[in-house]
Parts: sequence; C-alpha cells; structure tokens
Amino acid sequence: MRVSLEWLAEYVDLVKSPQELADLLTGSGTAVDGIEVLGGEYEAFIVGRVVDVSSHPGADRLTVCRVDLGGEVADIVCGAPNVRVGAVSPVALPGAKLPDGSVISETSIRGVTSRGMLLSERELGISEEAAGIMLLEEGAQAGDKLVDALGMRDTVLELEITPNRPDCLSMMGIAREVAALTGEKTRWPRCELREEGCPAEHDVRVEIVDGDLCSRYAARVIDRLEMGNSPWWMRRRLRAAGIRPISNVVDVTNYVMLELGQPLHAFDYDLVREGHIIVRRAASGERITTLDGVERSLTTEDLLICDPGGPIALAGVMGGEHTEVGEGTTKVLLESAHFDPANTMRTARTHELPSEASYRFERGVDPGGCVRAADRAAYLMQELGRGVVEPGVVDVRARVIRPIRLELRVKHAAGLIGISLRGEDVAALLRSIALDVLEIKEDGDETTIGVEAPTFRPDLVREIDLVEEVARLYGYDRIPATLPRSSHNVGHLTQEQKTRREIAGVMAGIGLHEAITLAFISQRWLDTLDPERKYLPSELASLRNPISVETAIMRPSLLPGMLEAVGFNLNRRMTDIHLFEIGRVFRPLRGDKLPAEPLMLGCALAGRWLPKQWDREEEEVDFFTCKGILERLLQSLHITDWDLRRERMPFLHPARSCAVGIGGADAGYLGMIHPRVAAEASLPENIAVLELDMARLTSVAQSLIPYQEIPRYPSIQMDLAMVVAEEVDSQDVEGVIREVGGDLLRDVRLFDLYRGRQLGVSEKSLAYSLSFYAMDRTLRDEEARSVYDDIVSALAQRCGARLRA
Amino acid sequence: MISRKLREEIDADPELGVIYREAQTALESAADPGDIESVRVSFLGRKGRLSALLQGIKDLSPEERRRVGRLGNNLKTWLENSLEKKGDMLRRQELEGTLAGERLDITLPGRYMPFGTRHLLSRIIEEIEDIFIGMGYRVVEGPEVELDYYNFEALNTPDWHPSKSLSDTFYVNVPDGEHSDVLLRTHTSPVQIRVMEKTPPPLYVIAPGKAYRHDVPDATHSPMFHQVEGLAVDEGITLGDLKGTLEHFAKRMFGDDRLVRFRPHFFPFTEPSAEVDVSCNICGGTGCRVCSGTGWLEILGSGMVDPNVFEYVGYDSEAISGFAFGMGVERIALLKYGVPDIRYFFDNDLRLLGQY
Repeated sequence: MRVSLEWLAEYVDLVKSPQELADLLTGSGTAVDGIEVLGGEYEAFIVGRVVDVSSHPGADRLTVCRVDLGGEVADIVCGAPNVRVGAVSPVALPGAKLPDGSVISETSIRGVTSRGMLLSERELGISEEAAGIMLLEEGAQAGDKLVDALGMRDTVLELEITPNRPDCLSMMGIAREVAALTGEKTRWPRCELREEGCPAEHDVRVEIVDGDLCSRYAARVIDRLEMGNSPWWMRRRLRAAGIRPISNVVDVTNYVMLELGQPLHAFDYDLVREGHIIVRRAASGERITTLDGVERSLTTEDLLICDPGGPIALAGVMGGEHTEVGEGTTKVLLESAHFDPANTMRTARTHELPSEASYRFERGVDPGGCVRAADRAAYLMQELGRGVVEPGVVDVRARVIRPIRLELRVKHAAGLIGISLRGEDVAALLRSIALDVLEIKEDGDETTIGVEAPTFRPDLVREIDLVEEVARLYGYDRIPATLPRSSHNVGHLTQEQKTRREIAGVMAGIGLHEAITLAFISQRWLDTLDPERKYLPSELASLRNPISVETAIMRPSLLPGMLEAVGFNLNRRMTDIHLFEIGRVFRPLRGDKLPAEPLMLGCALAGRWLPKQWDREEEEVDFFTCKGILERLLQSLHITDWDLRRERMPFLHPARSCAVGIGGADAGYLGMIHPRVAAEASLPENIAVLELDMARLTSVAQSLIPYQEIPRYPSIQMDLAMVVAEEVDSQDVEGVIREVGGDLLRDVRLFDLYRGRQLGVSEKSLAYSLSFYAMDRTLRDEEARSVYDDIVSALAQRCGARLRA
Repeated sequence: MISRKLREEIDADPELGVIYREAQTALESAADPGDIESVRVSFLGRKGRLSALLQGIKDLSPEERRRVGRLGNNLKTWLENSLEKKGDMLRRQELEGTLAGERLDITLPGRYMPFGTRHLLSRIIEEIEDIFIGMGYRVVEGPEVELDYYNFEALNTPDWHPSKSLSDTFYVNVPDGEHSDVLLRTHTSPVQIRVMEKTPPPLYVIAPGKAYRHDVPDATHSPMFHQVEGLAVDEGITLGDLKGTLEHFAKRMFGDDRLVRFRPHFFPFTEPSAEVDVSCNICGGTGCRVCSGTGWLEILGSGMVDPNVFEYVGYDSEAISGFAFGMGVERIALLKYGVPDIRYFFDNDLRLLGQY
C-alpha cells in the first residue's frame, strides 16, 4: 500500500522523519519496501498569470498571451480555447523537460516568438485532461514554483501489509500504528452532514437474502449532485496512492476507501429499479455485465447485489454497467457493506477481477465501520458535489459481529517472548493500538489483562494474538538473543545419512559432477525409454495442473533428467560429461494415496573419460568405465555381496547392459543406452548410465569393518592363461578358480584378455594372476603347484578351457 | 686420520716420507673414480710402492723393521681410508652429473586426474545441516508428494487460502478421486507435523529437501526449489531463543561481521512470527540494487509455533513451546555466492558445476 505522508498527517502528527518513520513501521511488522519522494519531476515549472491575450497575426486558432512570471513578463503563444486574461496556469520556460521527454525551447511560431508554454494537465502528466490549459485555484502566485503551488512535495511510503492486518489497508489504520509507535494521538476526519429532504428509508429498501455472505449493508442517498472533477488536493492524493481520478462521486468512494478501509460503491439511484436492493447468491448461469463491459456468467457461489430487475453488481468485486454513475447522474445510492472474505476472494479469482475493493473484502473489512464510512463519503459528496444528503442511513444487519473479549496472562506472554513484563506496561502497549483494556486482575504473582478487541482487528481472537501484539510493540530488537537452555538436544546424523554423504563424496572423488535435475518430466521420455512399460511402472504420479506437458509427470527414474543434462551440455559444446545425481523418484503404491519415494543414485557418462594427453591416447567412456565406477563405489562402502545379471532393459543396449544386485536383492541397472533411445532423444549412442537404489547401498554398506589379520608368511605368485570359447564369461572362469583354489588361493586378478591369430576364431585367452599363501606357515611351492594343477583340470572340465601354450 | 706425531715421523723417514707426499699429491689430483683406482694400484697394488716397501722390511734390522713396519702400516691404513673417501665423493659427483643430464620439462601439464564436484546446493544444505547439528539438532525427512492435511491444514492454513489454488500449488492426480488432496509440498514445513505426530517433545530437528510451487521459471523463481525447515519444541522455549539460534546461524553462514535483524511478520503456522534479514554485503548496509536500497537482505521466515499447530499433533501448548523457521537454499546460494539466476542451479551446466 502506498501511503502519502502529506495525507497521513491529516490523521496523526508526524513527529519523525520519513526514514525514522519507515524504520519504526518496519520494526513493528509493517515492512517499508520503498520510500518515494514526489514532486521532483515538476521542479522545472512555475506559475504564470495571463495579463493580456491578443490574437495571433498568422493563425486564427492561436493566441499570443502576455504572461506575468512574477516580476518578468513573457510572450507565450497558446492554442488552448480556455485561455483568458486572469488565468493562472503552469508554465514551462525554455529548458524545462516535460514528463513525455520533450524539452521546451524558445521558438518562433508562425512569426511570433514564444518564450515558453502554458501547460495542460495532460502535458504535465497528471491527468488525461487535454482540452485546455490547467487552471490553478486561488492562492497560486505568479512566479511561484508549481510544486509548491500545487502542494506536490510529498513522500510516499510503499508498505507491505501482511494478510492478517486488513486494518492497515487504510490511512486511518496506518495512522493508528504511527500513533502507537510515536506516542501521538489519531484524529478522525471531518464529517459534518447537513441532512435534508425526504428520509433515505423512503427511497431505499435493502433486503439481505444470504446473510452468511453479507453481514451488513448500509446505504445512504445523496441527491441533486453536480458531477464534475474532484478538487486538486483529492486528485493529487489519489494519484499518490496509485489510483486514477475519474469524477467527484467516484473519487469520493475511492478516497474514503483509502482513508477508512471500507470499500464503497455508488449506484446511479435513478437506474436502481424501485430503489430496492436485494443481496443474494446468483442463480446458476445468471449473467451480469460489469463496469468493464464484460458479460459474465455466474454460479451459485457468486454473491450479487440485485434490484427487482436483476443483478446490478458483483458484490464486493465490481459494479454493474447498467447502474454506473456518469455525467447525467444527479442522485446516488451509496453502498457501504460487509461481505464475506473467503467468498469475495473466490469470486474475484474466478472472474479474474482483482480490485482494490475485493482485496480489502478478502482480507476482512471492519463490520463496525460501515456507517462511519457512508457518512464520511456523503459528507464529501455534499461538499465537493454540492449534493443534498437525505436524512438517515438504511442500515440492515443480517447478523451483528461484536468485539471479542480476550484475556492475556502477563507471565505467559513474558515467558513466550523471553523478557520480563509488568502488567501496566502491557496494558499501555495494548491501549496504544486502540484496544479497550477492561481490567487488570492481580492474583498472586499472576496478572491477567482483560481487553476488548475492536472489530477492525479481526486477527485478534486468541491470547496468542495479543502476545504477538505485545512482542512487536515492545520491539523485537529489544528482546535479548538467547539459546534454548535444554540439555536434551544431542545433534547427529543417522548412519544412513552419513553413508549418503559418503556416497556423494565418493562419486565426486571418482571424478563426477553432482547434478540436480527437475523432478518432473515429459510423458514423451517414458514413451522413448520404455514404450511397452516393461521396466518402468505403468502407473505414474502425474500432475493435475502442470506448468506444461513437458513437466507433467513425477519422474519414476533419474534417467530422463540425467540424459537431459547430458544433452544440455552437448548442445553447449561440452563433450566430456560425467554426472551423478542423488534424488527421489516417484512410484505409486496400490492402496496408498502417496507414492513410494525411493532415493536413487544416478550416473551418466558421455564422451571421453580421460582426454588425449601429450603422452597418451584418450580414453572413451564405455560400459567398463561405468562398471569401474560401480566397483569403486561398492569397494568404498565395503560391499562385497553384489552381482551383475544379464537382463534386458528396454532403454539399454540389449547386449551391453545388466541388472545390479546388492545383498541378494535387485538394486538397479548399468549399461550403455539403447541406440533407439539415443536417436529419439537426439543424443549420441556412446552414453553409459547407472542407476541404483540408495537404500540398498546404505543398508548393505558396512560402517564397522572388523580387523583382518595381515599375512606374516610369504606368498607365491603364479600366472594362469586359459583359452576358452568366446561365450564363456570371465566371471564363471573366475568362479571356478576361486572355488577350486580354496583357502590357499587368496587373490585372483584378470590381467590380460587376448583374441587373435594365435587362437581359434571364436576363442579368447584369459590370463589371471594368482596369489597363494597360508596364514600359519610358509607355503611350499609343491602345495601351490598342486592347487594350480587342480584349477587347470577343473577349468578344462567345467569351462572347456585349455592352458594357453 | 693420521696423528700429527706419526705424520712427522713418516715425513722424516727418507723413503716413507717421499711415498707419503707423493700419495698426497696423487690423491688431490684424482678427478674421477678411475684416477682413484690408478692411485690405489700404484701405491697399494701388488707391485705398488708402499707394498714393495713393506715387503722389503724383512731385510732390515729388528729395530728398523719394527719402526718402518709400524709407520708403513699406518701409512697404508691412512691411504686406504683416504682413497675410499675420495672415491665415494667422486662417484657421487659422477652420479649427480649423469642425473643432471636427465632433464624434464617440468612445465608440461601433470597427468590428467578426473575431477568431480558436489552441487552447490548440496554443499549449502550440508553446511546448514552441520551448523544445526552443532547446536544439537537432528536431520529428518518427509515425502515430497504430500497430503493437503500436512502441507496446509495442520499448519493452520485455512481451506480458502489463496496458496492452495491451482495457480499456486501443484496437485497430483489420484487414480479414483476427482478432487485431489494429494499435492507436491509447497514447503518443507509438513515435516514438522509428521515428526511431532511420531515423537513426543523435546524435539530439535531440521528438515532439508525439495519443495514445489506453481511458478513459471524466471531469474528468481523455479517450480522446484530447496528449503530447510527447522523446529525446536521444549519446555520454556522463547522468542529470544529463536533470535539467538538464528543469529548464530546467520553469522556462521554469512560471516561474523554481518548484522542480523528480526522483523515482525505473518505466517499462518507461527505466532508471533519474524522475518530475518542480514545486512547487505554488496553495499555494506548503505543500500544498493541487490538489497533494493534497504541495506538488508531477507534470508528466512520464522516464528513461535502457533498453539493451533500443537493442537493438531496433540502437544500441550500450556506445557511446552517451540519455534520453527524455514529458509530457501537457492536464495542463500544467490546471496552468498552471487549466482544471478535460480535456473542455473538446475541446468547442470558443467561450466557452473565445475566452479564449486
């Protein structure tokens, strides 16, 4: 909300500078987002008095004015029809810059030199009025600065009003805060009505049908109005608040809304059939054309203001076109009502009609303030529109919302805030914001303060609401900063959380960059990765209101996000991509509203693992790079119980992929992406991926590693090269070696794989380095040799292997 | 070494004296291990001059034999030691000379080692976790797909609240129902409720994680972001404790020289509530574009847990009290590291990832 300090000073004496005031407001919960100084843009203009007007010798529609600029007199050519001798008007002298950016210079207009320009309101940028020059009111002296003559020097505070404080959406509400913070008193604005004519109740009948949505409806009638512009002071204040002046009647309703926080609506009385107001819910499909000219279809949740002929306003949101006040209006029915916050919000949102009025109703208008606002607006119409106010207010209440009585235990409040407080100090704080302190009860060491919360503070309904008032008025900056005294709190990470951190550290240590990808993906990815839903779940968590179809599905796998990140980098000419991510995926559970959210570890590699260096060749990423990462990770976590199984994953290369088992259960997959997926996703084929269930890793990981005895006797190293058929897996060969090797065979490592001319066409040679030792003695060569021979014959028998010559 | 007295005796002997002086000269002029060997051969070899002299003593008188034998043997020992020492020295010199020739261009790049990093947001989350673990907090988690009850209702957010609308919150389709109460959590605060439901006080926890809001991405908005929620519930917890805790956090996170400010604010699930600002490090508090001229940067929202929230989880708000706070991890990253655009965190551009 924009608060003009010049305006605010009507209701409270401002004894602080704007900056001090801003700091006080911010410190008490009304944050000041900005301080704007107005008037600077008009510094260049002065007041001139036209002392003589003669017609322009070369142009019929132009006049040459002699303008008194306060001591000096200048000739100014003017084309305005309303220029006359005695007119007092703003003048721009050569060098002055207009709001539209143009700069005035001394020019010759059809042979007559013009030393400046008489200005219209539009040229000054203060309204759309361009029919003639702006005529200044009494009191403006030739030669004065325009800013001073118009009282335009002002400071506006831009306030952020929290949703619990609808009362602060008004000058009066802010004045109350300022008064409380500076120890000043507030003043109500003038309201001296001279009621005459027929009583309003003869002209108006109000009927509230749906009292749940409208607790109160007050109406006044103002007759014999002269429509016109509002006076300058009102237009200036409205503009400072960010509202465009329209006409005296409309401006008054807006002005009083800003002043007191009560939205008002003026109907052209003569267009309200039978002067009969009916407040009711709309019928389904009922229609109304609102002030903006849009015909709107309504539902039974919308509240309407109707006359016997049908809807005339969308309650609290916008008036109807049919009863709009205009140039011909002479009699006005002024509405000052209280509408239900939630319902007003719903209607304003459904019809996309946020307005200053609906904004206030949504947050809660003072149900006790309807009549005061109606009176004040009637008074201003009487003064500014020469209207005659009909006697009385037609004030219909469907129910009465009364002030709430509350009790505050001083010790409780002090205990929650962490300060010590005395009863009378608390009472003084509460009185400063216009709460009615009814009693201060002393009972032993407990002091209880009974208050009545005014109806303009709908946020004060519980004791805790009063504690908050005490805390903010006492000042957060005065509350001592302490730490909880408890000794109960012992901070730590769980073992699982520690292991997760370790996994991330290992992955980064291996040489991968951690990525964080968006958790929502496009349906397209699922069709690409797994068109027949063989691996990914067929049921997915999808969004009802995604931002776009590209982000409509909660990911069932990290793979799409990782591949998108690979693509993003490739498109930016980065070729060697090593990424990992730890994040949740979403898999709906039968019979549960919420999906399972397993935490996964994903990894994607593209391009080279090692670049070409000055003394060695580059190393492309492949299946075994990714497998190496898996092995290193498992080794770091001391996981030995794991295996790889050939299994077809629809998104992986069928011959270069596998399922990963950890601790005897399925843990994920590893492999090269399927060339079809690569093609559909416009990615290169050479991308290796890995995805593992973090819970498998963290549950099987060993955190306590038992000591293993270090061998004291020498080992015997032997190499073993076996030729096998191409389709025999090295894992099977190694399995036989280990099984037959028994206790004495301590280590087996494949160090060579050979295919070539020395072997048959579909044969390969696997060369292993074997390490034998015993823990209790020095092993003899013959013992090792005998085990070695057993291994050779077992391999021959079980794997069809022969010793390589 | 040879003693002075012996040396004088050797020197005085016409034959030994000559051998001694010549051996000294030869030793001094030896320039490489080969020279040392020739010196050895010429004096100590089988036909060497000293060896010959010692062989000849058998022809001398018994007294002379004793004298010349004693002096000659001492001279031999001295020469052997001297040859070895000088020889060692020359061999070391020779090795150094050879090695000096094996020059490397030490300015060539070292062998490439793969380089990996943690994501900046992960690092910040762990930094926050560690600060609070140090103050006695545990780390807890909750689901990202959440029920309305935990995300809004039990957090004292009324049904008509605008943040519940389809334009603010993502809703998840459920197979059977049409009106879904399943949503993507809009903050990590629902974890508060889940933890309190399961655990009696006292409670000191933080809950880091992802949250989602229906925001079209721009420089300061992302539909997915990260928050860290904090909750302390115990007997006698005060607003002053909240102040002290968050002041400690802000100084650990942003630096001891930063000022911390608490402003009253409004949140549905805390009362009294506070927003916390730290002084702007760009302008030092005098006001600049980053802090919109205020000199302060808002870093988090907080407050005393509303009694209504305690009622939802069955805590007795007369017996205990508590505070809660929530902070945006991306915002802290933007402020602390000067990353200009929140979307950069989720692009996973290696040129950004590699920076941290």
